[in-house]
Amino acid sequence: MKAAFGILGRLMIRPGSALAVLFLTIIALAAIFADLLPLDPFRQNLLHSLEGPSAQYWFGTDELGRDILSRVVYGARTSLLTAAGAVAVAALFGIPIGLIGGFFGGWRDAALMRFVDVLLALPAILFAMALIAVLGRSQVAAFIAVGITGIPAFARIVRAQTLALRKRDFVTAVESFGGSSGYNMFRTILPNAWSPILVQVVVLCSIAILLEAALAFLGVGVAPPTPSWGEMLRTGKSYLYEAPTYALLPGIVLTLTILSFDTIGRALGSLLEDRHDTGTATAGGVTS
Amino acid sequence: MTGYILRRLLQLIPVLILASIGVWAMMYAVPGGPVAAIVGDNATPEQIAAVTRQYGLDRPIAVQYLDWFGSALVGDFGESYYSRAPVLQLIGERLPATLHLAVAATIVALLLGIPVAVASALRPGTLLDRILSGWSALALGVPTFWLGILLILLFAVELRWLPSASGYVPIWEDPLQALRNLALPAITLGVYVSGILARFLRASLVTELRADYVRTARAKGLPERQIVWVHLMRNALLPFITIVGLMMAGFIGGAVVTEAVFTYPGLGRLLIQAISSRDYPLIQGCILVILVLYVAINLTVDVLYAYIDPRIDYR
Repeated sequence: MKAAFGILGRLMIRPGSALAVLFLTIIALAAIFADLLPLDPFRQNLLHSLEGPSAQYWFGTDELGRDILSRVVYGARTSLLTAAGAVAVAALFGIPIGLIGGFFGGWRDAALMRFVDVLLALPAILFAMALIAVLGRSQVAAFIAVGITGIPAFARIVRAQTLALRKRDFVTAVESFGGSSGYNMFRTILPNAWSPILVQVVVLCSIAILLEAALAFLGVGVAPPTPSWGEMLRTGKSYLYEAPTYALLPGIVLTLTILSFDTIGRALGSLLEDRHDTGTATAGGVTS
Repeated sequence: MTGYILRRLLQLIPVLILASIGVWAMMYAVPGGPVAAIVGDNATPEQIAAVTRQYGLDRPIAVQYLDWFGSALVGDFGESYYSRAPVLQLIGERLPATLHLAVAATIVALLLGIPVAVASALRPGTLLDRILSGWSALALGVPTFWLGILLILLFAVELRWLPSASGYVPIWEDPLQALRNLALPAITLGVYVSGILARFLRASLVTELRADYVRTARAKGLPERQIVWVHLMRNALLPFITIVGLMMAGFIGGAVVTEAVFTYPGLGRLLIQAISSRDYPLIQGCILVILVLYVAINLTVDVLYAYIDPRIDYR
């Protein structure tokens, strides 16, 4: 706990990451407490469709006269939930793959890494689209698809960490006391490999939100009427002449969220690099 | 060298077989299996029996796969459920449009990415370097589809210079119209790719700048321009070629999204249409063709790399 506050404190010294933390805190609070706010993302008012920002509708209204601000706030819920689900899927499979591969080596390592290479070689969005073509459109399908594309990053980072820690004295000590391989991997090595994993979690959040929005924009993400930023951009694009702010404002919120996660991820990376050799993947080139 | 190319080709075989099994198995992973994929969920038992017989779905699974794979090898992916046209023909109609976009976007990416990388690598740590590194972060972080929307708002809605939806015009038929239609999609995709390019090329340049031959060149009194563009670039571009594969993955994803933004009639849009109409033969054909293109380009790059750099051990 103390360590977490220490890192947060060091993040807040940098103006860029302080702004990013502040912005994400607002987005997260809005997503969590959306039900307590005077917002309704579903109420239609066809008399007020496609209006620009006004005192009543701060972000304007969409083609059904729904309040865009309400939909942006509830869309934050969709985005953050998908990101959380995707990170969970990626970590759940990626971390054990990396631990087992790095700990045992040999054929197990070779087989697992070949699998990871194949996943890594596939363009993420193509893979996610194929998976959704099979599973159908839903939030669960979206986060499973996005999560699977995140497995290689976790597996590689954890494997590198495990290889580095495998021969350290404290691991050998546990072994000589008769600690099982499972105990050694999950209770001895994993707790010592947390910092690059943490960086990867943050970086993957930005990738997952971007990918979820891209899928929704392509019309294969979360099914309507669930509010989603990508879906709003998709519909807003049809009304660029009538209501330019429709696509503009959700896009700003989406972009700032992605950039905030990316900024924090990179700041964390360079902060923690002083303490450990992290070797994390960067956000570049993984998504669309 | 010939041996190396042969070995690389042989290594591709398991990858392509695995990919083909994955793509083929899609139909069988659909809830209800391939029959439901063909006739939908509300079919009568008679329809189901007829489809099962017609498509040979009562044969052993391995036979079904080999049959499908054999046809796919010679480019026969079957007929689209929707338009009843051969899948390969539909893909062939869309491929030139996507290639136009790819070439145009690559030119934009090189024009933007190389100067940004060179300028920031030559002055590491300065304000200019920080601003230009911010450019890479922005190019990668701003969603491609939103950048496309912004460009449409500016150049089509406000200024009315360019069309908001881009059609496909072959460049050899009407160069001006082709450029008008390609400009916004190419910038949208090119900016994204330039972000990847600039980030990696800068890293590569910074490493090379510390090399002895750069100091020698400077000591000889060569002009900085010549050092950068003649001596440095040749060496810095080499490690850079290895990330072309990574760029390709981003490129494909970006192209699918860009085509959707500008309703551009390319391969990516064909795939999206196929997915929304659950046209499985078309989905399989599109994904396989994209994967084969992707693998082929990666292979070409690897071979070129070994050819250009004699230090690479390609035994």
